[in-house]
Amino acid sequence: MNAGFEKRLFVVWLALSAITIAQLGVGSLEGQAARIPNAAITAGAILIALVKVRIIFREFMEVRHAPALLCRLTDLWVVFTGVTLLGGYFAGLAFST
Amino acid sequence: MTSVAGTPSSTSDRTQAARFVPGQPDMWAFVLFEALVFTAYFTVYVFNRARSPDLFLESQTHLDLRVGVFNTLVLLASSWFVARCVQAAREGSFRAATTNAFLTMLFGFVFLVSKVREWAAEIEQGFTFTSDEFFSFYYFLTAIHFLHLLIGFGVLAIAVHQLRSPARRSQETIETCATYWHTIDFLWVMIFALLYVMR
Repeated sequence: MNAGFEKRLFVVWLALSAITIAQLGVGSLEGQAARIPNAAITAGAILIALVKVRIIFREFMEVRHAPALLCRLTDLWVVFTGVTLLGGYFAGLAFST
Repeated sequence: MTSVAGTPSSTSDRTQAARFVPGQPDMWAFVLFEALVFTAYFTVYVFNRARSPDLFLESQTHLDLRVGVFNTLVLLASSWFVARCVQAAREGSFRAATTNAFLTMLFGFVFLVSKVREWAAEIEQGFTFTSDEFFSFYYFLTAIHFLHLLIGFGVLAIAVHQLRSPARRSQETIETCATYWHTIDFLWVMIFALLYVMR
């Protein structure tokens, strides 16, 4: 297999795995802290997930080599999902019981 | 792979010539449609969650974040192997491509077993689909993702079937199968963040 491409895939996998393991620290709140809503952690979790998804799109799914339309459509989904999730979360907080 | 043939005459043409849609465009239409459907599920979930934060946070403490991280790492590894499978097939290394396809299946199977064990542990503790709103979403999202995973094994079987015979090999089909498998991965990345990490 092409050594350059293989190395790139390995680095991408390593980076995605490292980000995931880092989330272990952020998400593993114990006791009372785990039961307190935290908008910063929520927004961070959503944004980090979307960054990971974009990396998967571009590197594993080879969208970086795809025609501009596919690049734009996948980026549009990332932005749209980010806006709707954060919008849904903050709208929900505004209507919280 | 839909590569453009011919000799490009300028830098712009060369860039254009190197660009290709990985796999069949129909699969990409399906992927984007599925992604939008999941966005709708996720949005309903975060809205309901933010409306009743105490209930959701209390129930979330019964999930094991380490299991979520493990499952994510396993699926990321499977995605890496299927990307290697595509590249190996493109270079004509069909034995390596087949090995990578089997490794993808293996990691997919590890995820499957881990997910079933997690469900069993939750049910054993008394947390079922009807326990509360959080667990309804938890079982719904993970089950619909699980269904996609099961279909993914069939899709990978098609890739392996093609790779094993020179008469059947189609790079486009192998890329299409890989695109589907990556979709299972990126949807899980979102589900992991929403069910296990967010507060």
